[in-house]
Amino acid sequence: MTGIEAIGAIGPALGAPAITNVGGAAAPVPGTASGTGFAELLTAGMRQVDTKVAEANALVRQFALDDSVPLHQVTFALEEARMAVELAMQVRGRLVESYRELMNMQL
Amino acid sequence: MQATEISRSALDVEWQRLQVVAGNLANINTSRTASGEPFRPLRLVSGPRTGFAGLVAGGLPGGVTVRGVETVQGNARRVYEPAHPHADTEGFVTYPAIDHAGEMTLLIRTARAYEANLTAINIAHQMYARAMQLGHQS
Repeated sequence: MTGIEAIGAIGPALGAPAITNVGGAAAPVPGTASGTGFAELLTAGMRQVDTKVAEANALVRQFALDDSVPLHQVTFALEEARMAVELAMQVRGRLVESYRELMNMQL
Repeated sequence: MQATEISRSALDVEWQRLQVVAGNLANINTSRTASGEPFRPLRLVSGPRTGFAGLVAGGLPGGVTVRGVETVQGNARRVYEPAHPHADTEGFVTYPAIDHAGEMTLLIRTARAYEANLTAINIAHQMYARAMQLGHQS
């Protein structure tokens, strides 16, 4: 994880708002992000993604049980969860990509 | 995701408006409610959703919310039907004076507003997805 930490030192200010805005309300203030490590940021982001997916799951189950839930709420939650997962995958992709780039550096 | 949140609140409101209009149309031949009064058509009243924090921050749009369901004042429709169980002493039954054409127009307007907000959500999602592609290689 030390390699990731080193990369995180480059751009925590850039990474912080992008990840924390996924969850919306419970986002920490971006100005304080310089104190937190990148790994913690990632963990928090992943937890919010997980919350979104769980929310969508619960709504789908509720809709299946009784359809008094408006359908748009279900599809909206599903779409939001998909977006959050996609953003997490993008973050992971960039991370792995830059890590590989550093690993392949000719010394 | 503020834009989609706003549009989602509008979807909720329009959904409830549809339910109110559907209730009006369903009660078009209702001669009496449970309290004995004639049925009055209902209207859903919606207004901008601005919390206290939003007001302090300077009135950023925060979506729409349901302000309440109000009865429409208007004359009831009195029909001479002496055989009806709900007829009064003069033989008149009171039906709600529901403007059928007006209700249908409101129904269509509600559906169009719903569609418009769905389009807004789709566009916002498209922008979001495009932003995710920013700087993406290969």
